[in-house]
Amino acid sequence: MNRRNFLKTSAAVIPSTVALQMLGGGHWVLAQTADFKDDIDVLNYALTLEFLESEFYRQGNSANILRGQEAEYLRQIGADEDAHVQALSQTIMQLGGTPVAKPTVEFGDAFSSRQKFLTTSHTFENLGVSAYLGAAGSIKSKDVLQAAAGIFGVEARHAAVVGSILGLPAEGGVYMGPTETPKPRAEVLAAAKPFIKS
Amino acid sequence: MNDKDPSRTLFDGQGVIKFHSEVDRRRFLKYAGMVGVGSTLALTGVACGTDDNGGTAASPGATASPTGAAAKDADVGILNYALTLELLEAEFYRQGLAGNILSGRERELIQPIGQHEQAHVDALTKTIGDVGGTPAEKPEFQFPPGTFTDKAMFLKTASTLEELGVTAYHGQVTKIESPEILGAAASIAGVESRHAAILAALTGGKPFPAPVEASKDMQEVLDAAKPFIKS
Repeated sequence: MNRRNFLKTSAAVIPSTVALQMLGGGHWVLAQTADFKDDIDVLNYALTLEFLESEFYRQGNSANILRGQEAEYLRQIGADEDAHVQALSQTIMQLGGTPVAKPTVEFGDAFSSRQKFLTTSHTFENLGVSAYLGAAGSIKSKDVLQAAAGIFGVEARHAAVVGSILGLPAEGGVYMGPTETPKPRAEVLAAAKPFIKS
Repeated sequence: MNDKDPSRTLFDGQGVIKFHSEVDRRRFLKYAGMVGVGSTLALTGVACGTDDNGGTAASPGATASPTGAAAKDADVGILNYALTLELLEAEFYRQGLAGNILSGRERELIQPIGQHEQAHVDALTKTIGDVGGTPAEKPEFQFPPGTFTDKAMFLKTASTLEELGVTAYHGQVTKIESPEILGAAASIAGVESRHAAILAALTGGKPFPAPVEASKDMQEVLDAAKPFIKS
């Protein structure tokens, strides 16, 4: 099924040495300039992903499959994603743009068990981190950049904590190397596509 | 001032960073004054001026730079500011992991943090050299007794340091001129956010304190770090 492809794709981790070579060599390429038309385009790209996450946690947290502190953490993560949707929508309108419509989404059996819920969450959060980093270089407004960076960091927090409560190995599970890895727009959208029905 | 003010909680307010020379100390202190003004003050090495007026004027030893070079110099200043904070973190974890206060999952989660901070030091040092700057020298650090023998104290300090690091990077996001350096700094900042969240979780704090990362400008970070800089 599609979801399996999604998980497989996003599990491919670029070795940290590659990122560090980019860091040290001064040849860092954040994104193809052609990836985004303008800041509104970047913000709508981010909004689509945040809509996806927000709805994912709304459904997952109502499925009542987590207990105690885990449940509390995931509720906070869901609230953060809701806040990101709000902030991005407002910013798009302030810039004179039109926020994309909330997509219709389908998460398959992601809420059938604690393990599946958390594993899918972990994948979404790491995808979000890579998506924001991949888009950062296309952002022209300093204010938009500050906001996007601020959201990016929080997605990294989510990814780490979910990786930790899943009991994943520290390196490669909780942390993804000494630097975060950017993903280009096409790769991110291909990973998200199986969950978006329209 | 509040409970979250790192100058109140870090190392019990004792001096931790000891620079090799007055010039090094002044250089670090002056990063705070050069934000957004393109000053080359902090970047001139031994030619650093002796005034303490915030660094909005050019250093006596600084050569006049065209706009592009000044922008690059400002980025080098930011990289050196980040490098100094990473040197502090790397040394902190090196000493913390050398002892035996951590074990099991805690050690497993913190060991890579130490490796990351050292990787950040190495990467920032190399990047500064690659763009023609001079990497800041490693200061001397003096940690108060108990930092590396009292596990609760170590973890609390680690958590505070990571949160400070996150806000320091986010405070520079709009100041960095070069897209390459911005990308590099952002890719490090995300990892610091992961560290901060894990340490908050380990110490019963808040792994997700807000939906968007907070930021501090150099002056605010400096104010937090100043009590720990030995002159």
